[in-house]
Amino acid sequence: MVLIVAFSAVIPLMTVVNYSVQDILDFNTRFFVGFDWYRETLNDPRFIDAFWRQIGFSLTVIAIEIPLGIMVAKGIPKASRYTPLILILLALPLLIPWNVVATIWQMFARPDIGLLGVSINALGIDYNYTASPIQAWLTIVAMDVWHWTSLVALLSFAGLSAIPGPFYQAAELDGAGKWQVFRLIELPRLRGVLVIAVLLRLMDSFMIYTEPFVLTGGGPGNATTFLSQYLTTMAVGQFDLGPAAAFSVIYFLFILLFCWLFYTSVISRDET
Amino acid sequence: MAQITLEDVSFRYPGATEDTLYGLDLQIENGEAHALLGASGAGKTTMLNLLSGLLSPTSGRLLFDGNDVSDLPGRERNVAQVFQFPVLYDSLTVAENLAFPLRTRGVATDMIDGQVAYICSELSLGKIRDTKPPSLSLFEKQLLAVGKALVRPDVSLVLLDEPLTAVEPKIKWKLRQTLLKVQKDLGVTMIYVTHDQTEALTFAERVSVLSAGGILQTGTPTEIYQSPANEFIGHFVGSPGMNFLPCSAVPSTTGDRIGFRPEWAALVDEGHVDGTVTRVRVYSTQDSKAHGLVTLMTPHGEVFVRGNAEFETGMKASVRIDRCVTFQGGNRVAEIAHV
Repeated sequence: MVLIVAFSAVIPLMTVVNYSVQDILDFNTRFFVGFDWYRETLNDPRFIDAFWRQIGFSLTVIAIEIPLGIMVAKGIPKASRYTPLILILLALPLLIPWNVVATIWQMFARPDIGLLGVSINALGIDYNYTASPIQAWLTIVAMDVWHWTSLVALLSFAGLSAIPGPFYQAAELDGAGKWQVFRLIELPRLRGVLVIAVLLRLMDSFMIYTEPFVLTGGGPGNATTFLSQYLTTMAVGQFDLGPAAAFSVIYFLFILLFCWLFYTSVISRDET
Repeated sequence: MAQITLEDVSFRYPGATEDTLYGLDLQIENGEAHALLGASGAGKTTMLNLLSGLLSPTSGRLLFDGNDVSDLPGRERNVAQVFQFPVLYDSLTVAENLAFPLRTRGVATDMIDGQVAYICSELSLGKIRDTKPPSLSLFEKQLLAVGKALVRPDVSLVLLDEPLTAVEPKIKWKLRQTLLKVQKDLGVTMIYVTHDQTEALTFAERVSVLSAGGILQTGTPTEIYQSPANEFIGHFVGSPGMNFLPCSAVPSTTGDRIGFRPEWAALVDEGHVDGTVTRVRVYSTQDSKAHGLVTLMTPHGEVFVRGNAEFETGMKASVRIDRCVTFQGGNRVAEIAHV
């Protein structure tokens, strides 16, 4: 078991850590540079820009997908014969490969032939996501919401279905309104699944690569260049293995840090 | 508080071919503690849901103080319910939980405070009034659920759905005593649904026995126990239930079978039925003599006799029946107090 963990996680990670403290000119010529690459990465304005862009993106999609997912879940009938069909339809976006999702949206949002792009332009709004940074952003957020809200909805639906009927009956007899039922019965009992949903979306959105790469290529300019894409450009495009490795370690530590911060804040609230 | 009347109430689930409940006629007086006793599948839960407003009768009328509430939803019937497990608002404190049903109805704040304080003292919840349910014991939680049901001073009816099921046996007695006390103190109309005859017979002023969707008998615990309307109730109530023998066993003129409680008989040398002792259970000693329940195998099947337990398995004994109820075709015909 220890060996499996070592081979699957620790050894590749150690390679990255090893690279991150060396300047590699070619595979036979390398120098130990200590934390130089880390210092350089953290001071790199392109890294800093991509980092804040990344934070903005993750927070935006979580802020939209979690409430929207709960609303969708509440709209699913609990015991209708259509329930399985609705669940399958909801799960569909989750089954599509990520690059296909991006390709679909690339077509869909094209201002010349895409249904969405043409429709928006027909409304008199000048829409071209390849030219406007704001529109590129909105398009990527819309794509992510389309892609991942289902996950939140399915998790929330599972959570809602697990609430025993007497809780609703009691609320009815107590004269509770819809909002009180949501806030006092449903939300507390959805907590567990919502923590998981936020964690999954936080990690996933922080690592997003394929969709913006295919849809906008990180543009226009660097408007939609997120951390992973900048990293790939560095490691594969420019073959700067040392800085890229340092970048990877920092990237990994940030994801770990955010998840830990979120999780501990949730747990500490449980204890008070 | 209200008088509850069921007039020929029937209920059939949509798509079902048979009525789950049929021809229910029942009147429960204002302030009465009433128990609905039945085995699982008898229709207890359906009847409870009819009373709470989750379901509406397919036919017949349900009256609260003479007003037809058959088609009103639960919140308009002014009903409260205690469930099998504690149903509470976990993010609210004990006091806030108690205040909740009053707050939603727009009761004035000082009135709410008064009611909450009253229920807290009545149920001894004062010490934990600022605690939240997750840190309470199961007993305290269920006590709070009871308090929440009783907090509205104008509540028409309080339904208790096997409220002691989840509570450990040691605490059951305590909770039942508390329930009895507040029922008496507050004088609310209560319907206690249970499959446990001990709970039903000790809690209620009157008991209705429900079986296969119909009410077989309504009466005081003594009536139910002493003169069951039919053989089913005789057998179902009491542990063990009634013994049944063909009428020929005792000189009786009416009916085809007789039923007698284990304590209505005694083991003697020359009695009505002879048998062999198959099991002896001693519960206590009286005058240094073993007292308990003796099981005999007779030509008519097993017979239980309570009392003198100075017997060993394999011994021959005879059963003398002192008192019995006679049945014809399963239904009670007469009671014979002295055989």
